[in-house]
Amino acid sequence: MPATVHNDVLIYKGSNLFRQRLLLSTLSGRSIKIVEIRSSHDDPGLKEYEVNLIRLLDKITNGSRVELSETGTSMYYQPGILIGGQVSHSCSTQRGIGYYLEVLLALGPFCKEPLNAVLQGVTHHNLDVSVDKVKAAALPILLKFILVDDGLELKVVRRGAPPLGGGEIVFKCPVRRHLRPLQWTKWGLVKRIRGVVYALRVSPTMANRVVEAAKGVMLKFLPDVYINTDQCRGPNAGKSPGFGVSLVAETNENTFYCAEAKSAESGAGETTLPEELGRACALTLLDEIHRAGAVDSAFQWLVALWMALGQKDVSECVVGPLSEYTIKFLQHLKEFFGVMFKLEALTDDDEDSSEDEDKVTTAQKIKMTCVGIGYVNISKRTL
Amino acid sequence: MADDAVFDKKKAHRAKLAGRKAEKKKKKNQVDQSNLSARQRNPKAFAIQSAVRAERQFRRREDVIAKKQHIPQVDKTPLEPPPIIVAVVGPPRVGKTTLINNLIKSFIKTNVTSTNGPITIVTSKKRRMTLIECNNDINSMIDIAKCADLVLLLCDASFGFEMEIFEFLNICQVHGMPKIMGVLTHLDMIKNAKKLKMTKKTLKHRFWTEVYSGAKLFYLSGIIHGEYLRNEIKNLSRFISVMKFRPLSWRLTHAYLLADRLEDITNQESIRKDPKTSRDVVLYGYVRGVPLMKDSAVHIAGVGDMKISELSYLPDPCPLPNSEKKRHLMERERQIYAPFSGVGGIVYDKDAVYIELKGSHSHKIEDEETNEKKALLKNVVETKETLDEQMQDTGFKLFSGGAVIYPDMLKDDEYLNHNTNNEKNKSLDESTSETESDSDNDSGIDQSEKDTDVKLPWNNNFESEDDDNDEDMDTDEKLPKNASKIDDVHSSDDDEEEEDFNIKWKEKLSEKATMAYFERQRTSRNIMKLVYGEFEIGNKTKEPEESEGQSDEEEIGGLFKKVTSTQKKKHKEKEQLDLDECSFFYSLDKPKLRDWLNEANKQLIANSFVTGKRSADEDAAELLKLDDASDGDDEMYGDFEDLETGEKHEGEQKTEENKEISSKRKAEPTKSEILNKKLKLKAKFDAEYDNPDDHRIKGDHSYYENLKAEALKQSELNKSVFENLDDGLRIEVEGFRPGLYVRMLFKNMPSEFVTNFDSSYPLLIGALNMAEQNIGFVSCKVKKHRWYKKILKTNDPLIISLGWRRFQTLPIYSKIEDDLKCRYLKYTPQHVTCNMHFYGPITPQNTGFLALQTVSNNSNEINKLGFRIAATGSVNEINKSTQIMKKLKLVGTPLKIYKKTAFIKDMFTSTLEVAKFEGARVKTVSGIRGQIKKALNKPEGAFRATFEDKILMSDIVFCRTWFKVDVTKFYAPVVNLLLPVGNKNAWEGMKTKGQLKRERNIMNDANKDSMYTEIVREPKVFKPLVIPKELQKGLPYKLKPKVKTTTLTKNNRKPSILANKVAVIKSPHEQKISNVMKMLKTNFERKVKVQKATMKERIKKHKKQQEAEEWQKIKRQKELKKKICRQLSKMSSKKQKQM
Repeated sequence: MPATVHNDVLIYKGSNLFRQRLLLSTLSGRSIKIVEIRSSHDDPGLKEYEVNLIRLLDKITNGSRVELSETGTSMYYQPGILIGGQVSHSCSTQRGIGYYLEVLLALGPFCKEPLNAVLQGVTHHNLDVSVDKVKAAALPILLKFILVDDGLELKVVRRGAPPLGGGEIVFKCPVRRHLRPLQWTKWGLVKRIRGVVYALRVSPTMANRVVEAAKGVMLKFLPDVYINTDQCRGPNAGKSPGFGVSLVAETNENTFYCAEAKSAESGAGETTLPEELGRACALTLLDEIHRAGAVDSAFQWLVALWMALGQKDVSECVVGPLSEYTIKFLQHLKEFFGVMFKLEALTDDDEDSSEDEDKVTTAQKIKMTCVGIGYVNISKRTL
Repeated sequence: MADDAVFDKKKAHRAKLAGRKAEKKKKKNQVDQSNLSARQRNPKAFAIQSAVRAERQFRRREDVIAKKQHIPQVDKTPLEPPPIIVAVVGPPRVGKTTLINNLIKSFIKTNVTSTNGPITIVTSKKRRMTLIECNNDINSMIDIAKCADLVLLLCDASFGFEMEIFEFLNICQVHGMPKIMGVLTHLDMIKNAKKLKMTKKTLKHRFWTEVYSGAKLFYLSGIIHGEYLRNEIKNLSRFISVMKFRPLSWRLTHAYLLADRLEDITNQESIRKDPKTSRDVVLYGYVRGVPLMKDSAVHIAGVGDMKISELSYLPDPCPLPNSEKKRHLMERERQIYAPFSGVGGIVYDKDAVYIELKGSHSHKIEDEETNEKKALLKNVVETKETLDEQMQDTGFKLFSGGAVIYPDMLKDDEYLNHNTNNEKNKSLDESTSETESDSDNDSGIDQSEKDTDVKLPWNNNFESEDDDNDEDMDTDEKLPKNASKIDDVHSSDDDEEEEDFNIKWKEKLSEKATMAYFERQRTSRNIMKLVYGEFEIGNKTKEPEESEGQSDEEEIGGLFKKVTSTQKKKHKEKEQLDLDECSFFYSLDKPKLRDWLNEANKQLIANSFVTGKRSADEDAAELLKLDDASDGDDEMYGDFEDLETGEKHEGEQKTEENKEISSKRKAEPTKSEILNKKLKLKAKFDAEYDNPDDHRIKGDHSYYENLKAEALKQSELNKSVFENLDDGLRIEVEGFRPGLYVRMLFKNMPSEFVTNFDSSYPLLIGALNMAEQNIGFVSCKVKKHRWYKKILKTNDPLIISLGWRRFQTLPIYSKIEDDLKCRYLKYTPQHVTCNMHFYGPITPQNTGFLALQTVSNNSNEINKLGFRIAATGSVNEINKSTQIMKKLKLVGTPLKIYKKTAFIKDMFTSTLEVAKFEGARVKTVSGIRGQIKKALNKPEGAFRATFEDKILMSDIVFCRTWFKVDVTKFYAPVVNLLLPVGNKNAWEGMKTKGQLKRERNIMNDANKDSMYTEIVREPKVFKPLVIPKELQKGLPYKLKPKVKTTTLTKNNRKPSILANKVAVIKSPHEQKISNVMKMLKTNFERKVKVQKATMKERIKKHKKQQEAEEWQKIKRQKELKKKICRQLSKMSSKKQKQM
């Protein structure tokens, strides 16, 4: 849904992609207005987790202005300046911490002071990337853009499963004046597989069963598979029972693919067999590996964002097939920053000639090329 | 002697023929010594003798190298750079215009009558330049300094440097120093040769201290027939044309352009109705700096922030010559383009445009170009242009009237017909606009514009401008007509159809075109289409209404399929409207994944693991095989055995080379390919390691080298990555790259901009990056300029030139304390930097700025100030709020004092205030410290405080606190371009109160105490002497104060007593008595007097007598003493004799 521009304010409709819009608005400094937020629903207006996101943004910025209509079906957001620093936020349990963490991750390098955020809530959620995945797959991406790791850190203090959550993480991010242009067109071959299985307020055997199943699948492809179990006890186990797994495949070019699966919520009535869970997760990982590309499919948009925000130089990155979310994000990038990516489907010439039977089935690879807009961190102080 | 010689015959040297030495010698002679350096032949001689000296030498060499190093920057100069801007700056009447005229003449061999605005000329095969003269206005000087690449600083040698020159240099320093060349003129005014020499020398040294020592200073020794000497100008122009430029950080991050042409395309009718109506203005210029993004906001210096409503590129009006192998420029290639000066084919009148057709070279050039393009078109394989652009090219051909007609000319016609039909359809819809356009076509301008359309290649947009005028609602009619229109046509068709159509077209254009290329192009386009939808390519700006217009058309077309599809799309959109946001690949619906354990599927990804089969170029076995195949050539490596490096490097090189070969290679590399590669690698290796002289100890510069290589790689990538993209798409992705000539339309410009336009003022359009169009609080460090006579006061309006902008604002000065608190300062300190906060546009950190107190050219004021630049500085930080604290001393007095506790009043006014300050430290004047405890009820604002000692009632109690000062939100851009002509340098913004009072002659009432008055000194009045009663009792009566007789009342009493005196009239008897008494008294007084006189005499006599007696007595005594003494001496002498 393209935006309409009125008085330099971008006007959007609907609550979908709310997070993207707020994020880009904050970075670009352009005001947005979102109308018709669930206007025809039984429960109109912003949901709790969205309001919570606005609160979080308010905490890390200075001078932001948010105006909500009485019914909550339309809002106006005028972004301020990113401050960062010490932030403690208890996230809504309707969504996972990942929902908020991704925003912080995207904004982190552009704050005035290094971000040191403590987020509380649900660490693993079906709709959002888990904190494990962010740690394993997203932080290496950011590292490519800031090059020097001075204090980029994500610590899972406590895990919390839905619906009650009770997890806590600490996220630290250094600030940069500008990001480096990125050329990332090779992703190499998967050389090792690691994973974490956590069991919260359930029998520890569950975790071991998950490990066994997942390992069983992965070992058919690679011998180097290690899966840890994280048996959380007492307060560290959060408030709700649950278990889950996340697997990470590392390639020899420092690309990380990550897949995850978790048990159904306790009150839902359905039960999850640990073996099935492990197997499902392993298959998702294989799927991810099949799609390939230099980044995990869930973080394509982050790469696109940071490429677009680079200096006025050309950045290149090859990714797997674009996810729906990334496509939306690219559209938003164009509307907010006026930056357009050159997207090119790569035809693997080499492979074509050598192994013809493979050609049909390899997933589409897309080369994203863009010129950065020369974004500089305007909030950082120079002495 | 001879015998001696015979006997003394020495044994000849017999060289060893075997053994260690002989072997050594043999080995040495094997290598050809002739082309070895001394160092290699005799390495021992060059060995280190002294470690200390070697260390020093090494250190010095490293120092020299390090001094030369700069942080490598990515080179952003495009392949076809924009003309360099050469600004001619100097005070009035130093010969700026003459110099420009002469330079133009020397470059393009034509005389230019009037030089107004920027003049672009082609100076060499690779370089163009834009000459611009800077008038004597500080606003222009600032704008020029922001955009000029090279500044010719003119100076009247007979007068010396004037203040403007120093001001300009200072402006340059702040905004990024362009290259500066000084030019001394009027040297013929100095007749005395010796004096001339001295003047040159002093001026040169002064100039060097300002710019850098060794800066180039030219001497134009005189004027002959109104022109400078020809060889001097030639020399100058040579220097200009080989000048190299270093990138400046502001211009490396911002796009900008110096407009060299302006058109007002407002509807004439609406201007007639209301001359003050806001205008639609088109500005033209070369993009410079970095690529200009389509929908970025820009700042027009002197006007304000604007949004570009349309941006498109035009063919270069002053193109560089074709890259043919020639030594010199052809005569016709020496082009000039200066619309404001009326050169280059167009002359501007007040409301019409006249085109000179004969003198223009563009016509011929066009022909040449088209011929070449035709040649190119014939083998499209080489051209990487897409259909759209080629269509554009064909369009030009059509209009240029060039002789040859192409096979696809027919198609063009068809298309044109189609197009006109299309337009007719539209005009049917809007019959009113049709009539309007008719009426418009009648006007003279349109005619002339049509002419331009035909003749001048860069004017091909005129028609579409017309269209804009005519059909305001048809926004999709944009620039290069053919490209855009064909797009429209296509987009109205089915997508598939379009595809087919495209292919057909392409086939028409070239049979040789490789299918693979097109396929790739198409697929890539498809993904972009998937993401960005039906975006328009290149030369048009996107308008939201367009899509709607199209859908309307579709409905008119009556294609049911279309309508339903749009409905479906809408429905889908609606469904997606309120979805939950999720960044996973399979966002909400979990699809059934492929079963990867299935053997067939397993094969698909098996090769994604390190355990799988590698691709040919990475597989170790394959590589080995390849090595074997190329073993035959391996001798090549045999012949460079370096003494130290030899083995190790060879090994490394080998693996490296393997990789490189294999990565580039196809499955079956031919032998010759391998050979080639190896040769190349060998050459590289030789270059690196075979340098015979380099056996010295070298520093490790790998860090710097790596940085440099990285920057180089990036710049190459920047240049190459979009090279073979079609222009439209390229612009969409990259932006309008520097060097393109663009046309930008601004809507709703103030009418004064057009009516008061003066081409002698530079028209600088600077693009604003993200967030720079927002306004916030800017914190910066600032230093008052040493030459500025006044100090600056907080909250006095200040004009700041920052980034592209010039604006007035109210700054607050502060000092950053050690705890990083900003302490408010009322005035800037004299010679140190201080902090400054103001409300203004957000600008990246480290951007330099300068501050002025006035920009008006009032000579009176300038003379008073001398130097106009008040301060310089740079931005530190941006924020949306400020924390500036001012020291505040609250004063109170004791109300009541107990031992160490006291009640203090008058410090606060309310209990609430006290509550805020509970626990704060207070102090008395005498230095007794204390603390505020709690508010009191009774006198509002009083509180209880405890002290370390008992305080006195006379003590004053202080409380030292901080008070937050807010920065006034005032920001006013300097809009000097809107001022009437001739008055443009008289911009005045907000004035200080003092200025206003001075102007209106308002005087403050003088302080009464300072006024002079007559001095009246009252006599001193003492208090009455009051003697206590107790004391009075003891006094004798004489001294006792009598009843009410005080010294004070003595004077006053007398008259009162006199007034109270009753006249006493004596009886005759009493009179007689008193008479007698009087006579008796007189008698007695006389008697006493006489007696006194006699007594005096008597006493005198007596004294005399007594004195005489005394003398007598003394005389006697003396004689007696004499006698005795004589006797005594006699006796003593006798005694002596006896002895």
